[in-house]
Amino acid sequence: MYEFDWSSIPGALPLLGKGLLVTLEVTLTAIVVGIVWGTLLAVARLGANPLLAGLAAGYVNLFRSVPLVMVILWFYLIVPQLLKAVFGEGIADIRLTSALVAFALFEAAYYSEIIRAGIQSVPRGQVAAGLALGFTPAQTMRLIVLPQAFRNMVPLLLTQAIILFQDTSLVYVIGLSDFFGTAYKVGDRDGRLVELLLFAGAVYFAICFAASQVVRRLQSRGVQ
Amino acid sequence: MIEIKKVGKHYGHFQVLSDCTTAVAQGEVVVVCGPSGSGKSTLIKCVNGLEPFQSGDIVVDGTSLAAPGIDLPRLRARVGMVFQHFELFPHMSIMENLSIAQRKVLGRSADEARERGLKLLDRVGLRTQAEKYPGQLSGGQQQRVAIARALAMDPICMLFDEPTSALDPEMINEVLDVMVELARDGMTMMCVTHEMGFARRVAHRVIFMDQGRIVEDAAKEDFFGTPRSERAQLFLSKILRH
Ligand SMILES: Nc1ncnc2c1ncn2[C@@H]1O[C@H](COP(=O)(O)OP(=O)(O)O)[C@@H](O)[C@H]1O
Ligand SMILES: [Mg+2]
Repeated sequence: MYEFDWSSIPGALPLLGKGLLVTLEVTLTAIVVGIVWGTLLAVARLGANPLLAGLAAGYVNLFRSVPLVMVILWFYLIVPQLLKAVFGEGIADIRLTSALVAFALFEAAYYSEIIRAGIQSVPRGQVAAGLALGFTPAQTMRLIVLPQAFRNMVPLLLTQAIILFQDTSLVYVIGLSDFFGTAYKVGDRDGRLVELLLFAGAVYFAICFAASQVVRRLQSRGVQ
Repeated sequence: MIEIKKVGKHYGHFQVLSDCTTAVAQGEVVVVCGPSGSGKSTLIKCVNGLEPFQSGDIVVDGTSLAAPGIDLPRLRARVGMVFQHFELFPHMSIMENLSIAQRKVLGRSADEARERGLKLLDRVGLRTQAEKYPGQLSGGQQQRVAIARALAMDPICMLFDEPTSALDPEMINEVLDVMVELARDGMTMMCVTHEMGFARRVAHRVIFMDQGRIVEDAAKEDFFGTPRSERAQLFLSKILRH
């Protein structure tokens, strides 16, 4: 029988905490940038300009058709070159920056699809009413359509955020010490991989379960 | 005030409007009726540019809609519109519904917009509902708010697209009463409606549309006395029986 030994966990908590912060940083950045950039993509895709609509559609389809882990690796290889070209010098540790960029751009594609559906869920009569009052199409979008779209979308956006939170563990491929990566390294170092991975799994589960309960609350409130 | 000249519109091969010509003078109330799908909504939405048209022209207070580079938001801000399904903004309180366009389009201050909004809520008998949300109001109340919202922009004319046809019967009159009062105050109005009682009370002219054409355009007395076209007679006999 395998003998569990949890003794290496308490000492590793500060390190694991730092890893969790990296995970949260990547998650939150991707949510914020993803929603802003995703909104612009969705508006472009539904807009009157066929060139912008085509570019936005191409972007979304490209990112939705390649595995996330590949995008992470690409950006790890590309971003340093870009930064070198722009600033002359590379940044010391490129791993966090490239992960932030990769996740933000990747998630924007998924968020843009959610937001596009949200915009389309707002009745056309609302647009007509906004325009009839003298709002420009841009004002109608900003003041009338998007607030209603986002209110309808909150549960879906949060669900996507939960998936994203779990997906950030993929940054292990570029050796970034997020929560999962840190747990793996500590377990490897102390020869307690099973315990550390069980512990990490429990933490992911607790956070995601709590968040999904929040989503369920919001959804049942939305039904009323 | 509103001149509609030989307006034509089609979706692909389907002709929605053919050669529609009519005019609404300052202070005039014109009722537009006709069977479902005859193009009434389309015609009225062409007047404030919510629907584009391919031929002819519409001139509103001297501004041609067919002119290149026309400033549509500016024109629409001067033309009030009331929709079948009210279209109040559900994420805003009644007062915000009334004031947002005054502030963002006309550039009025928040206080000014609020004062004007309250005055109009008074006029439609809903001053006490200012802080509620549209979902908390009955259909009739929502439509009265929608009329107040359009009036808050101090429009030069008002367009109505079947403003009572989505309402429960007991709420129709509260909305019609507001419209009658508006007409008696001299507002220029173009109303798509099948409320012939309303037409008899305040309309100056009645337009009957069928299959995208203006089939009959007559003074109220003539229209209800002896409609010339067979289609209009048939239509009238149908809706007056209800
Ligand atoms: N976007 C559209 N594409 C194709 N046909 C349309 C569209 N909008 C309206 N129509 C058609 O145009 C006709 C006139 O519609 P409408 O103006 O709404 O009629 P009414 O208000 O008199 O009932 C109808 O036959 C309708 O099916
Ligand atoms: Mg209609």
